[in-house]
Amino acid sequence: MADSLFETVLVPIASEEDAEETCRAILREIHDGPPTLHVVHVIEKAGGAPDKAGVEQRKERAERIFNRVETELADEDVPLETEILYGTDVAEAILERAKRLDATSIVFTPRGASRWIKLLTGDVAQKLLANTDRPLVVLPRTESHE
Amino acid sequence: MSDDELAKDLGLLSALAIGMGTMIGAGIFVLPGVAAQEAGPVVVVSFVIGGAIAMVNALAVSELGTAMPKAGGGYYYINRGLGPLFGSISGMGDWMGLAFASAFYCIGFGGYLTELLTGTALALPTLEFGLFAVSDIQLGALVAGLLFVGINYIGAKETGGVQTVIVTVLLGILTVFAATGFLHFDWTTLTTDGLAPTDAGYGAILPGTALVFVSFLGYAKIATVAEELKNPGRNLPIAVIGSVAVVTMIYAVLVATMVGIVPWHSLDDSVPVSQVAEITFAGIPVLDAIGVTLISLAAMLATASSANASILSSARINFAMGRDKIVTDKLNEIHPQYATPYRSILLTGSVIIVFIVALGQDLEILAKAASVLHLIVYGLMNLALIAFRQADVPEYEPDFRVPFYPVTPILGTVFSFGLIAFMDPIEIGLSLAFVAVAVLWYALYARSKTPRRGVLGQYILDRSEAMPDVAVSAATAASPDAADEYRVLVPLSNPRTERQLISLASALAAERDGVVHAVHIVQVPDQTPLDRGAEQIDRIDAESAKLLEQAREHAEERGATIETTTIVSHRSFEEVFDAARQYDADQVVMGWGADRPWATGRAEQPLDELAHDLPCDFLVLKDRGYDPSRILLPTAGGPDSELSAEIARTLRSTTGASIDLLHVVDDESEREAGEAFLTEWAADHDIGDAVLTVDTSGDVESAIAREAADETLVIIGATERGLLSRLVRGSLVFDVVDDLECSVLLAERPTKRSLRERLFGRSKE
Repeated sequence: MADSLFETVLVPIASEEDAEETCRAILREIHDGPPTLHVVHVIEKAGGAPDKAGVEQRKERAERIFNRVETELADEDVPLETEILYGTDVAEAILERAKRLDATSIVFTPRGASRWIKLLTGDVAQKLLANTDRPLVVLPRTESHE
Repeated sequence: MSDDELAKDLGLLSALAIGMGTMIGAGIFVLPGVAAQEAGPVVVVSFVIGGAIAMVNALAVSELGTAMPKAGGGYYYINRGLGPLFGSISGMGDWMGLAFASAFYCIGFGGYLTELLTGTALALPTLEFGLFAVSDIQLGALVAGLLFVGINYIGAKETGGVQTVIVTVLLGILTVFAATGFLHFDWTTLTTDGLAPTDAGYGAILPGTALVFVSFLGYAKIATVAEELKNPGRNLPIAVIGSVAVVTMIYAVLVATMVGIVPWHSLDDSVPVSQVAEITFAGIPVLDAIGVTLISLAAMLATASSANASILSSARINFAMGRDKIVTDKLNEIHPQYATPYRSILLTGSVIIVFIVALGQDLEILAKAASVLHLIVYGLMNLALIAFRQADVPEYEPDFRVPFYPVTPILGTVFSFGLIAFMDPIEIGLSLAFVAVAVLWYALYARSKTPRRGVLGQYILDRSEAMPDVAVSAATAASPDAADEYRVLVPLSNPRTERQLISLASALAAERDGVVHAVHIVQVPDQTPLDRGAEQIDRIDAESAKLLEQAREHAEERGATIETTTIVSHRSFEEVFDAARQYDADQVVMGWGADRPWATGRAEQPLDELAHDLPCDFLVLKDRGYDPSRILLPTAGGPDSELSAEIARTLRSTTGASIDLLHVVDDESEREAGEAFLTEWAADHDIGDAVLTVDTSGDVESAIAREAADETLVIIGATERGLLSRLVRGSLVFDVVDDLECSVLLAERPTKRSLRERLFGRSKE
């Protein structure tokens, strides 16, 4: 029942490049019927300390990310919703939204970050793996970007 | 939206911590030595005066910040208030001022780091490169600078309470320091040489203030993160004013204590607090052993948090400037992995490093350069406040208002610019050179890019007849190119009716020396991608070119300047709104009829949302042979008929039209009042010579129908909101529009409406 897994899909996207990769991966890997894609971008908040980049600034970036997604999926008949989330913990915000949405799965592509970067930015994928309460689908990135 | 609430996660305590954390660093740990040597014990008064000046400005920051809780702080207010020329000066000033301040904080950090490491294996060396030397303190400062830039570059996560904890720890250590100091405080040490022993005597007070003013630069940082504050209307003023008050008090007490323990002339000029602590902590268990180390660590923590906050808020200022196109928006790219504005941070960081290396030998220059640039910004900010208040901008609704307006902002301006006079010639010269560079930058780069004119410039140009010529020409000269022209946007679709629209638009544009901007909106089916189907696009282009060419001819016949654009879109009605916003139109003149795609009633977005948020004046012409020679203008007063009156006046002056005014009252007994109203209204709107008719039937529609019989054009102001949306839905209240024989022009002007008004309609005047 592949369909049920991809019925309501939450797609967290981190950056503009990530938007492109993820959309391509989804088009490549998911063929069975159009799932509802719920694309989210989490704006990480410091929760009491000023953020490194302003909220308005990152909202604008989120809009650019969503535009990329819309461009990538323009030719596809895919129901698409986009939403900005805020949270002090990115993985937590994603999981919490998936729960409220009652998503059938969370789909993302690994960002291939080095261990060093993961240490600095926090490993969202690892946290998702450790804490998820629903299926996680990890799609491979295209070879050219490995 | 609750999501927006989530975006606001800075409470009052965090805001206070930002303000105090930024300020305490420099004032207490670095400057007392240098300043005391310069002014003697009266340096305490210098600090208090600095606090007073900061307080007057803090009031202005509070008002402006609650009116516009936006990233960018001072720059944002000045750019909106005084326009992009002053916006450029203040943006650059704030930015470079922060870089100078950061370099200064880093030097402070370096001083205490050097002190801490002296005698250990890690003691910092002094490097010499021929003529060029970098002292151990500068080396420490460089380490600090690189560290802070690095932290902000990778966006190392600070969790909520860090800043609050830092400030609490600092206050704790300083309290201990003050308490032990109190025991050693000796009035005779303070007064040995008199209170003002320097050559200048009491005249040294204000130059002292000029030197230490850098200690008060933190409060405005709260405003740069205002968009993230919870309940900014309340928390911003409390945090800004409160942090200045608390910090001023701390400075006064601690500096007085220090000059009462170590004679003013021997206070150390890089690590004064450690020096004093060595004396006061002596003999006290625990503190004797680790006290001085503790002070050094506290000093480093304090200067680090100051530098960190400064780098961070300079990125906000860059962002705000980039959005207004004062600097290139490329600067504000966000790092794909770290989600930080890395380019802005790198650039600011490099400037800081250069300042540390080039000017780091002289703490005073760094401190004063930072102060001068900030003082320029503060002075302008007070002027911006006055501009907002005087121009009576409807959107300007601060939750906090400065007391004793206009005295307070005038004092703020005088104090801020006045204090600059007490700097040394070199700093004054530097700052003048700097202003010149910012002005040049505006003239050569930003002026052609930024689309925004300030409230002040708009105010002057709107009243160009009443204002002195010199003010008008100055405002015109300083206006950004992109915002210069009055732009009348005309969406076109049908070649047959386009001539009337262009005539009307030309008349309106000519009145204000503006341009007509004809936009051909080509709607293509959703299935057709916008960027494909070259064949189709070629065909559209050819048609569009023909149509726009006709428009051009018609406009030029009437002596109007015209620009043309073709927009290919899946949408039509919405595209009109988008285009109006994109091209910063002042008026939109559009036709209405079954042959126009936007009149078919298909809109893609909730219409109310669109039509309730007009980007500019909208004039909708339902034409039945456009002839503006005899105009009927029904009015019931109120702000909405202003626009109709304006249009009627314009048409009268360009085409010699006659104007008939109509006012409808319920019965004969109100005739007199109605006539009085109409006479006054006509006089107010400069159309006193119009024919006045008061109808007593109480039936507006049939009255209009009767009176319109001999007229060629009826101008109906949107006496109720949402005119456009009703028009699209076909549920126009004035059915009369469809019944009349002559052309009808519907005029609607945007207003700001409260949520209540949106829900329940306009309250009756």
